[in-house]
Amino acid sequence: MSGVRTLTAEIGKLAALPAAWVAVAVATLGSLGVTVLNAAGVRDAVAAGDSAALGYTSAVEAAFSAVPLGTVGAVVLGVVAMSSEYTPNGTEAGGGRQITTTLTTTPSPWRVLVAKALAVAALVLLVAAVTVPACLAVAHQLVGDVPDVGAPHDAVARTVGTAVYWVLTALLALAVTVVTRSGLVPLVVLVVNSSMVSFSLLVGRLTPLARFLPDAAGISLFARDWEPPGGVALAPLAGGLVMAAWAVGALAAAGLVLTRRDA
Amino acid sequence: MSAPPARVVTAELVKLRGLPAVVGVVLGTPVVAATLAAAHAAAAAAGASAGGLALATVPYLQVATVLVGVLAAGTEHAGRQIATTLTVTPARWRHLAAQSLAVAATSALTACAGLAAALTAAAAWGPGDGVPGARSGVRPLLGALVALVLVGLLAHAVTVLTRSLVGALVATLTLLLVVSPLVAAVTEHARWLPDRAGSLLYLPGRDPVLGPVGGGLVLVAWVAAAVLAAGCASARRDV
Amino acid sequence: MLSITGLAKRHGPHQVLHDVTFHALPGRVTAFLGPNGAGKSSTLRILLGLDRATAGTALVDGRPYRALRDPLRTVGSMLDGPGAHRSRTARNHLSWVARAAGVPQRRVDEVLAQVGLAGAGRTRVGRFSLGMGQRLGLATALLGEPRALVLDEPVNGLDPEGIRWIRGLLRGHADAGGTVLLSSHLMGEVAGVADDVVLLAGGRVVAAGLLTDVTAGHASLEDAFFALTTTTEATR
Repeated sequence: MSGVRTLTAEIGKLAALPAAWVAVAVATLGSLGVTVLNAAGVRDAVAAGDSAALGYTSAVEAAFSAVPLGTVGAVVLGVVAMSSEYTPNGTEAGGGRQITTTLTTTPSPWRVLVAKALAVAALVLLVAAVTVPACLAVAHQLVGDVPDVGAPHDAVARTVGTAVYWVLTALLALAVTVVTRSGLVPLVVLVVNSSMVSFSLLVGRLTPLARFLPDAAGISLFARDWEPPGGVALAPLAGGLVMAAWAVGALAAAGLVLTRRDA
Repeated sequence: MSAPPARVVTAELVKLRGLPAVVGVVLGTPVVAATLAAAHAAAAAAGASAGGLALATVPYLQVATVLVGVLAAGTEHAGRQIATTLTVTPARWRHLAAQSLAVAATSALTACAGLAAALTAAAAWGPGDGVPGARSGVRPLLGALVALVLVGLLAHAVTVLTRSLVGALVATLTLLLVVSPLVAAVTEHARWLPDRAGSLLYLPGRDPVLGPVGGGLVLVAWVAAAVLAAGCASARRDV
Repeated sequence: MLSITGLAKRHGPHQVLHDVTFHALPGRVTAFLGPNGAGKSSTLRILLGLDRATAGTALVDGRPYRALRDPLRTVGSMLDGPGAHRSRTARNHLSWVARAAGVPQRRVDEVLAQVGLAGAGRTRVGRFSLGMGQRLGLATALLGEPRALVLDEPVNGLDPEGIRWIRGLLRGHADAGGTVLLSSHLMGEVAGVADDVVLLAGGRVVAAGLLTDVTAGHASLEDAFFALTTTTEATR
């Protein structure tokens, strides 16, 4: 029972953070915006019969190319869920931190961490469940009846894959922030890594082992025909499992830190 | 906008110097830039110039100047420091001008250190001619410096406007690093985005419509619009 | 002299201040009292040029704060703690304030010693206790050797020794001809030091004048406060 209570409390705390809603807006509206731009580009290229100008070849690709914005949203959600615990309240001096209240209300750090992870995962899952189908629908509406590459069930698999990728990204961000306590460093590093100038892609140019890095491993969950520089991408299932292993490992490490450190 | 007295600009520089996060950015940037340039150099094809490899780190260096801009304004609102700031310097435009100048100076210092470190690392480990800047010339590096300072000022103005450190940081980085490349992949109009236009300062000839000067002016227009919006907002609203 | 005349402030549908008028005179300590949410801080923020009034004026020696040439040399103020980012040191904070205000750097050490933080100059503000934060706020207010002091809840978080110290400080400032305006909801702390009292409730001035006049007919300032503020609440 008290586990459920802790989870409800964590969901309430997360929902009360303005930054969490900014993250949701970036993930949802940002993805939709990029999808609209992409889909319009595809439609114009199709109308002009200019197949070379097709940045993204179909409605489905137009939608899934917007995934990085959702990843940024997931990073922000994971980071602020934890960093808000360590932000001093009110005044600059002598301000208490919320973590004190959290750990006196629920003295088990493990329970707090699991509840936080579940709350973050639930919110990201909800965002994905709304955003990805909405992007697909908008793209189809704009592009019209251009034949899609790949079977229809593949779009479903990629939708699920996107949701899994976002959830795992948020959990990794949460775990890293437990260790750093400040949100600044994880926010910068993970947002950069969700971008087109990702550190993982750069490392991939040096060693094929980079495809086992958490974010690179999971890319095949939503991307198709994706080739990491200097290597072969992992299969979707294998990539997802590698990324999940990173997330579980990071959360375990975070839990150990939380139990051993003075609040 | 009246010119701010030198003492207010100095005060803003002392303020930035007192923030460990800003000191960390200024000192950490050359280290990160050198590492990234070395990584690019290791992966680069033979014949890549040191200057070209150093310029490949500019997208990352943007993160450093964005951080300087965001931290300068964001820390005013994390707590109540803004009340102290505006009781000491009640003229909102004067304070904004002073803080912008301090951000520009600190961004320039950070970008210089980063570019110099990247150039050195690229020359040391790169497959190129080994003479920094010999092939590409100094002009693109100066262009990169100007673009980086302007990006720092843009991030600063966005933070003054939104008064949120995390919000402005996420918004600016997402625009520069995620949205801009995505948009550039589908439409040529992406050239009007601040960082795409600014990149013409160090990658001239990349765009058929805008040259280096045109690209620089587009970025300056973005910064001017953001600073104007930030100034009007801070002059009107309650602290 | 600080002159507040016909001040009104509206936040959306909320009228926070209604026609607030009072003066704080040189050579006197004026206590600005009222329950939480009465509008004390709003009044002080308007006086310091931070917020804009919907109507009315708040003047320092006849001029709005924003028009003062060197505001920190005229009015020293403290609102709600030190007003410094928690990651900087106390000395760095005072140092930039001094520079921006055109005050010599030697004042930094002087005020640190004056408020009892001489050994804490290198400590980051975030590590300060509430009371030390208050002392840093006071140090900032004293930095420019101003004629007037405007302090919002200055005794908040101070220990008994600190409260006695600040009473002496404010008394001395007024006796030397300075103006002191301090807000508080702690009646007992204020009764011992104030010459004049302004009582605010629900955004309205319910009593103003000499401490002795306002407390006349009541056992103490605290009794007068409750009698005057509760009648206002009841008639609203």
